Amino acid sequence: MSFLFRLFFHDRTANALVWWLKLPDNARFSSQSSSRMTLATATQPEEARDKAGLSHSGSRRSGPDTAFHLLVAASALLVLVVLGGLVVLMGVGGSQAFRTFGLGFAFHDVWNPVADQYGAWAPLFGTIVSTLIGVAIALPLAFGTAFWLTAMAPPRIAAIVGTAVQLLAAVPSIIFGMWGFFTIVPFMARTVQPFLTHHFRHVPGIRFIIHGAPFGTGLMTAGLVLAVMIAPFMTAVMRDVFAAMPAMLRESAYGLGATRWDVMWKVVVPWSRTGMIGAIVLGMGRALGETMAVTFVIGNVTAVGWSLFAPRSTVASLIALQFPESPAGSLRLSALLALGFILMLLSFASLALARMLRGDTK
Amino acid sequence: MTETDPQVAKSPEVALAVRNLNFYYGENHALHDISIDFPARRVTAMIGPSGCGKSTLLRVFNRMYDLYPGQRATGEVIFDGRNVLERDLDLNILRARVGMVFQKPTPFPMSIYDNIAFGVRLHEKLNKAEMDARVQDVLTRVALWNEVRDRLNAPASGLSGGQQQRLCIARSIATRPEVLLLDEPTSALDPISTARIEELLDELKEEFTIAIVTHNMQQAARCADQVAFFYMGRLIEVDSADRMFTNPKQQQTQDYITGRFG
Repeated sequence: MSFLFRLFFHDRTANALVWWLKLPDNARFSSQSSSRMTLATATQPEEARDKAGLSHSGSRRSGPDTAFHLLVAASALLVLVVLGGLVVLMGVGGSQAFRTFGLGFAFHDVWNPVADQYGAWAPLFGTIVSTLIGVAIALPLAFGTAFWLTAMAPPRIAAIVGTAVQLLAAVPSIIFGMWGFFTIVPFMARTVQPFLTHHFRHVPGIRFIIHGAPFGTGLMTAGLVLAVMIAPFMTAVMRDVFAAMPAMLRESAYGLGATRWDVMWKVVVPWSRTGMIGAIVLGMGRALGETMAVTFVIGNVTAVGWSLFAPRSTVASLIALQFPESPAGSLRLSALLALGFILMLLSFASLALARMLRGDTK
Repeated sequence: MTETDPQVAKSPEVALAVRNLNFYYGENHALHDISIDFPARRVTAMIGPSGCGKSTLLRVFNRMYDLYPGQRATGEVIFDGRNVLERDLDLNILRARVGMVFQKPTPFPMSIYDNIAFGVRLHEKLNKAEMDARVQDVLTRVALWNEVRDRLNAPASGLSGGQQQRLCIARSIATRPEVLLLDEPTSALDPISTARIEELLDELKEEFTIAIVTHNMQQAARCADQVAFFYMGRLIEVDSADRMFTNPKQQQTQDYITGRFG
């Protein structure tokens, strides 16, 4: 390795590279004269060798190295500063709301700007449920796509579909918002809701999920749009995970006479569990915070209820809509910031949950 | 599956008969007109420099190449009276009867017990006691039983490399195949683990027809009854191990086994 660097760089540069790349110590070298070093190793006592090594490692961190070291460390520390700043801003800004309504703010289900009464439960419920619906729909989609792309698709078609997945991931969320508004909302209002109402109106257990006027907006619509938005990201992660799986492992399973179904469920899924949790968290993170697209299709009514087909709101959509009309210093603005604070906690919690699930497998 | 041992029930002289086999990776013609017999319950070693086609040949026998579009074979591989290359052959049954072990141990992400039971469950309905017996039987045969009997439910990934490879062999013979394909099974193992696997081959050949690809000439000499030398996708020479290593007929074989190239 080090010999390769040496072809292109000066000793010092090459050694710095070795250091940055965290190569093992024995990859380091000195060309004060390599032949002399060889001689030294061969004939001189241990001590002399140590000295040569020491004097050399001393020069490693001087000049540009130190500057670089400080630069990368600073950019890493900046992350801490920004994160801390965000938490403080949201917490302090929202403190008025928390003081006024207590911790019950999070579970109070009235959001009434006219009476200056605020509770986070309605948008929080909307965020959680629409995210869960989105992930639940996107997960099998992403899994199927990734599995097909890595294990079954003819290479040429896999390349085309793989690129399409990446393009889909690159589509701005406002586009999905408009698409949802003009396509999914009418579809839900004219086809899905009448169908469900007609067939399941009297079925207990399902009735309360589907009741409501056929507006087409609501948690289910938001979940569908979210699913389409997060599926490409989840597909990309899962594809990498599947691609990292040794071909020999898959072949071993096929070699025992397993069908694709067996291989998928009994070998691929357990093997890639960690990576799949990563994919789910990535999707959840995006769905929790998604604002524009959801605002277009959710109906924006701050109400709580189990119907998936009635207009609702999410934390992000509510903040986006009401932030511009909330005067500085008002309780309303403080409540919105408090909502932001809770949304951040929710994201952190999903990450922590993922860490925990991942820890179990090891 | 019945109780009669399929290996005893029929004892053909030749387990696998390859006739005029050609293999293509897309446009690349990888095997040229291979014809060779694999005697039943003998070890046939395939040697030759990297890229000579020996692993490719192994992957024809269980149609592993079918997983990959663009790879195809022509010719005949007769196994139990049928051409393995026929389109309508049931691959899952073929692969249960032709087991395969790879260059590196490939334990499944599950317990030791389930690693064995995985393949068996695909083809047979056994009750708990029968499955326990099968697991113990194959683990005993690969000399792993005493080492793992107390931790059958522990993940297989916790075993050492040599143990994992013996587990993979146990897993392959648990479906009671007739042929065992070994693709450089000891290339990732230390000398002691290698020696144990080689001893194992000696015992397994009483029951299975074994085809082993190896880069290790000593291994071929130690384990094999028959040796085939491949070069550039062609079968150069096939003979008994004794004759092959003492008195090869072809100059190329002579050069390879004496280390002049490859």
